[in-house]
Amino acid sequence: MTTALSAVARYVDRRQRFFFPAPAVAVLFLIIVLPIAFNLYLMFTKWTVGLGEPRFIGWDNFVEIFGDERVWNGVKVMIYFSGASLALELFFGLMIALYFNRTFRGSEAVQAIYIIPFAATPVAVALIWRIMLNPEIGVINYLLTSIGLPPGLWVASPDTVIATLVMVDVWKWTPMITLIVLAGLKSLPHDPYEAARIDGCNALQIFWYITLPLIRPVLIAALMLRSLDNLKEFDMIYTITQGGPGIASETLYLYSYNVSFGFFKAGYGSALMVIVFLVVLVFNVLMNRLRRDASLV
Amino acid sequence: MKSALKSCASALLLCLGFTAATAIAQIDWKQAQGTEIRFLMNKHPFTTFIEPRVAQFEKMTGIKVAIEAFPEDQYRNKLIVELNAGGKVDGYMIMPGQDDLYHWKAGWLQPLDGFIADPKLTDASWDPKDFFASFAKSSSVDGKRIGVVINAETSLLAYRKDLFTKFNRKVPVTMAELEDTAKFFHGKEVDGKKLVGITLRGKGAAATSQWVDFLYTFGGSWTDAKGKSNFASPEDIAAFKFYGDLLRNYGPQGGTMLHWAESTSSFMEGKAAMIYDANVFKSLYENPKESKVAGLVGYTVIPAGPKGLQLPHVSNWSLVIAKNSAAQRQKAAWLFVQWATNKENSLAALLAGVPSGRTSAWASKEYKAGDKTPDWTAATMKSFDIGQGQWNPPVINVPEIRDITGLVIVAAIEGKDVTEAAKKAAELMDKKSDM
Repeated sequence: MTTALSAVARYVDRRQRFFFPAPAVAVLFLIIVLPIAFNLYLMFTKWTVGLGEPRFIGWDNFVEIFGDERVWNGVKVMIYFSGASLALELFFGLMIALYFNRTFRGSEAVQAIYIIPFAATPVAVALIWRIMLNPEIGVINYLLTSIGLPPGLWVASPDTVIATLVMVDVWKWTPMITLIVLAGLKSLPHDPYEAARIDGCNALQIFWYITLPLIRPVLIAALMLRSLDNLKEFDMIYTITQGGPGIASETLYLYSYNVSFGFFKAGYGSALMVIVFLVVLVFNVLMNRLRRDASLV
Repeated sequence: MKSALKSCASALLLCLGFTAATAIAQIDWKQAQGTEIRFLMNKHPFTTFIEPRVAQFEKMTGIKVAIEAFPEDQYRNKLIVELNAGGKVDGYMIMPGQDDLYHWKAGWLQPLDGFIADPKLTDASWDPKDFFASFAKSSSVDGKRIGVVINAETSLLAYRKDLFTKFNRKVPVTMAELEDTAKFFHGKEVDGKKLVGITLRGKGAAATSQWVDFLYTFGGSWTDAKGKSNFASPEDIAAFKFYGDLLRNYGPQGGTMLHWAESTSSFMEGKAAMIYDANVFKSLYENPKESKVAGLVGYTVIPAGPKGLQLPHVSNWSLVIAKNSAAQRQKAAWLFVQWATNKENSLAALLAGVPSGRTSAWASKEYKAGDKTPDWTAATMKSFDIGQGQWNPPVINVPEIRDITGLVIVAAIEGKDVTEAAKKAAELMDKKSDM
């Protein structure tokens, strides 16, 4: 008996590198590898959940994607929304970080208040924005009209919906960029600044020729982190507009969701999700290359 | 005192007489004794109503009933998963106007005609003719009865009686009058508030369930005789255009984002002279805690279209029996469905606030005695009589086609070229429809 047990123990002992990670590997396989593999299989099938089995159709889903106007609309909305919100968040994040990068009375309190939007739960915040932006009963139009300004339609008009969503996104996520950039600013060396001041540079020159190049890798890192979420922004847009009015704010990601979980078309939905994944991937590979170039400087 | 006693005694005698009379005509309720059945239900007011009464049925029949109820979204998911996997489900709830084709094509629905026709299985007092014809029809697929209505709904035009009296306006009976009335009230100031003429749902797919009444009333339809999309027909385009124009010109700002919650709250705030939405929202309008217009609202059926047609939709939840279930359990399930939808339970449900699909319940003294809005009842009855049970596109992938329809409604509200949008949607619908 003991010999049998010790034989097992010896067997396990000699193969520790397989046995010890096995539980973790099994879990990872179940929750990551398997769903991805299933998704990759589904994207070549036509399958409405509940009706029969997935039917293999080769590349037909991708052919359909190219002819689908809503895909192109989704790409357009995604570029418009992400381009505008990422640029503004980066700009304001940097400016505000520069402002915070010095000590003034109550600076800690101001910074603490400033990060509240970033710390708040996205869906809860989005629900409140949705009510505030309502053209009939929302507080924003009430405030505007009470000081004599004309009310806006905000998310209720296809012309202003994306700009309004960008505004909410900027409000919520600029503090995150600020925090990252601020940490970068605090770690910058003092010597170049002293040298520049001795040489008689003004504030603008210092910013342009010293701060900006030094902080560039941090900026790109912040942009990458933010873009991962931003390109597949879902909760905020879904809560406020569900992609409306019509499809005016339906990003590619939202459309994929509607196809998969609104229409239950799992095959086509999987193919769309893969496209979204590729977009995010390509963007981040490009960013990563930019960052490597920047750190070489 | 003595006369009270006397009337009590005679009432008791009368009751006994009735039980005796029904006892003679009764089927053998114990015929499936010992069977266990399982029903999946949506956590709907009907479920809340029937659950505490199930013990009565179990005592009467010796059948054991397990009811599992879930909130609607969760219910729909669980139901599909269980039916798909061939789980042990003997009966469940569906909305035939939305789900029947899907469930029928998937082979999940047991036709009930055989049970209904069998005098050993169906009690004479169940009286199938007592159900409104529109609901009996909408709970049928390919001429086969697949469900029994347990909750009946339609849509009505609700209007502010006080304002109509104050400005001496007639209740609109044609679509032209509806537009005219909306125009009249739009922009009028009442109690310091600017009114809108009418409020409607405008949020894409969500609007189709009320827009469809305009579609039918304008003589339009989802599909033509060949089963192709009919959106590009003049009638359909007229319906899209009328609905969109009405909401854009005489409705609240941002019409394309109005779901029922936004639309009804605008009416309940006293900001709209009229609203067209589900009749069951009466309970919202008439609730003095939530609504500023409680007691001031009148109700009528949809105004007639250009050719005099008046065709609102009716929708319902029905109890169905699963095809997969064994014969003995199906028999027990039918006894349960029959009992749950008998006259007595239908009336009790209506009195508890679950609108019944039986004419006898609505016509009863008990209901009429407590009815505070007889014009609502009259309008609802008329709508049930004339209503159309198919309120969704006749396809399997209903949500997707509703979504495509919603795009045309949005285009109409935004004042874009409706003809072009409708043509595009018709092509898309033909391409994406699963029949």
